[in-house]
Amino acid sequence: MSTATIALLGQPNSGKSTLFNALTGLKQHVGNWPGKTVEKKEGSFARNGVTYDVADLPGSYSMSANSDEEVITRDFITSGKADVVCILADSSQLERSLFMLADYAGIDAPCFLVLNMEDVAKDQGKTVDVALLEKKLGIPVMMFSATDTKAYDQFYFTLERALKEKSHINVSELEKEYEKIIGYNEIKEQIKGGNISGYTPMWLTVKYLENDKVVSAKLKESLPADAASKIESIGLDANGAIATGECKFKWIDELLEGAVNKTKTGVKLGKLDRIYTHRFWGKPAVVLTVILGLLGSFIPALPIMAVASIFDVLKNVIGDALVSVGCPAFVTGLVCDVVIQSFSYIVKMLGFVFGVTLVFGMLEEVGVMARISYVFDNTMGKLGLQGKSVMPFLVSFGCTMGGAAGARVIDNWGQKVLTIALAWAVPCGAAWAIIPMLSTVFFGAGAPLIIVVLLLVMILHMWITAKIFGRTLVKTEDRCGMIMELPPYHKPKWGALFRYVFGRTKDTFFRVVKVVLIVCLIFYILSYGSGVNDTSILYKVGTAIEPVTKIFGLPWQLFIAFVASSVGKEGAVGVISALYAGGSYGEGFMAAMSGAARAANLNELLLANVSRPEALAFIFAITFNLPCVVALAATYQEIHSVKWTAKIAIYYTVGALILACLAYHVGLMIW
Amino acid sequence: MKKLLELLKDGNSRTPEELARELETTRDDVLRQMDFLEHAGVIRKVPFMNESNGCSTCASCSGCEGGCAAECKGCVPQNAKMNMGTMWEVV
Ligand SMILES: Nc1nc2c(ncn2[C@@H]2O[C@H](COP(=O)(O)OP(=O)(O)O)[C@@H](O)[C@H]2O)c(=O)[nH]1
Repeated sequence: MSTATIALLGQPNSGKSTLFNALTGLKQHVGNWPGKTVEKKEGSFARNGVTYDVADLPGSYSMSANSDEEVITRDFITSGKADVVCILADSSQLERSLFMLADYAGIDAPCFLVLNMEDVAKDQGKTVDVALLEKKLGIPVMMFSATDTKAYDQFYFTLERALKEKSHINVSELEKEYEKIIGYNEIKEQIKGGNISGYTPMWLTVKYLENDKVVSAKLKESLPADAASKIESIGLDANGAIATGECKFKWIDELLEGAVNKTKTGVKLGKLDRIYTHRFWGKPAVVLTVILGLLGSFIPALPIMAVASIFDVLKNVIGDALVSVGCPAFVTGLVCDVVIQSFSYIVKMLGFVFGVTLVFGMLEEVGVMARISYVFDNTMGKLGLQGKSVMPFLVSFGCTMGGAAGARVIDNWGQKVLTIALAWAVPCGAAWAIIPMLSTVFFGAGAPLIIVVLLLVMILHMWITAKIFGRTLVKTEDRCGMIMELPPYHKPKWGALFRYVFGRTKDTFFRVVKVVLIVCLIFYILSYGSGVNDTSILYKVGTAIEPVTKIFGLPWQLFIAFVASSVGKEGAVGVISALYAGGSYGEGFMAAMSGAARAANLNELLLANVSRPEALAFIFAITFNLPCVVALAATYQEIHSVKWTAKIAIYYTVGALILACLAYHVGLMIW
Repeated sequence: MKKLLELLKDGNSRTPEELARELETTRDDVLRQMDFLEHAGVIRKVPFMNESNGCSTCASCSGCEGGCAAECKGCVPQNAKMNMGTMWEVV
């Protein structure tokens, strides 16, 4: 019984494993290539009295020496162990997948070409003229479908033919292309003399031009000294691989010319993409999308906010009940002002977390977010940043920490610092919870307008910040554009989307409950003055600093809330809850409880005590304050510089106060 | 491919479709060029978020109890990697 060895060669996903498994069935052996961690798969089958040994060569892109896989594959083939090499290509994308064949051409081992995925090509309406390809290539060629058991007879037939013919790829057209490369002929002239089995001089020359280390070393060894020094004196292009690669592609195109019915589809863009990728309209379209998204977030948020008013009712009912059973005022206040009031706010905030996450999660699922990052890519360049900085910014809408961590993909330190510094200006998930909530409390139906203004100020803020820090952090170097493959638009996967939205809302809930309750409790105790305001320490400190805080348009209570918001934005809500409804307004509260003014809930207290300009100042102050201490820590972790972390933190604190001051004065002009 | 790289030097990013239009070729041709350039180490995929560094960065971030998922579940939606498309940068 005679034996023959066949080697399967193909790019990943060409269907090599499918073919290998179908051929060998259970007669397989899996091991490792000597000295390498690359998997070695061998098997065998018998047919018509011949035993075939099959070697499944590790999948690789080409025959160059970029990876262990490729070196193993190459060595196996050129060692002459295989009687015939079966080269697989994906017939549904021949332009791309024939690259292996083009790179193989010139290796001195017989082969045949299997165009797999016939069924896929057929579905795409592609037909391939196999006879023409055979004529051009000089080797057996067949259409095939590895998943179709009926196709295997044809495979065996072609295999036997290939073993008989032992033909090589006709490389004359390919070599004509190579000859156009400067230095090709000179190098080949020298290489011809040496004798390295398994390779043709053309192939070796091409690999030498591609700076293939293995080939260069081999040539040095085997060539006579004068020839070796001669080829070394021919200067090599660092991008030699690109030049030879272009030859290979050109050869493939000529090969396919007339052999494949080219349905040359022009590049078509959807209506939406024509706007988003428009040089001029792209930016306004994206900004409008974001604004509409934010406004749209109010829609799912409002019903949840309505639920929160239950707490206000609850507060009165429970408050009454507690007073009537003679509960001490401190405890009544604790239950009503700390616990119930906080929950009322928390539920309101969750409404927005839910709304914002839902709307932006949906934009992301549909594929719009990818367009947003595409449009802002060019803006990044103007800020002195790489295009990939846009991702940390987008992630920062959810969580600044995530943004800081995401900046890790930026290798240049200065750009990384600048990216994080700018990402801080992007309001995070917690900010998106608190700010719309406070805006609705203070401005009612005007809240959406406030949100839009904040968004525009954010863009301005980032621009100014980039100008301030950019000068020292990033050099105006030549930036290379990126290639961004945008996903096709598709319907959102509702299940996954809602799981994400609920997950995030739940996470936010637990975090917010912790922070708000603790902060609220602390400030409630600090400010509790048994009904008399001016005995609490906090009140004394507060009124003492108020002349200064008023410059920024902040009453002392709000200023303390601002300070608390640097720990975490939720903290601000805890402080407000405690300071306005709680101890410091103890008298008003007691009055309310005794029935004189029952309706005096916190919202009304706030409106009575805080003017609109002050409220506006406060909203600006906390929006643009540093995100939270954890983000501060994350920033330090990424940039490893105390100096810069501190610089950014101080910049944000001061910046927030300046913005508050401006907002206050603008507010004074309006109201 | 030289032309493709030359185009990117102006600092503007492009989609494969735009490249195809400017190079007067097909999207498939651009994709195979990208394939080649990626394997030649001339361009590389930008890793998405924390893809490249495990979940160390996730530890501090809420919503990552799920263990060492490739992406930060709490910070970005589950399919974000897919839905955000892919970026390649010139090395
Ligand atoms: N439709 C179709 N799918 C195929 C064909 N051959 C392989 N596949 C599928 O393509 C995928 C990749 O195949 P695989 O053998 O793993 O490719 P490998 O990476 O080259 O080993 C698998 O999901 C196969 O089921 C074929 O002829 N037609």
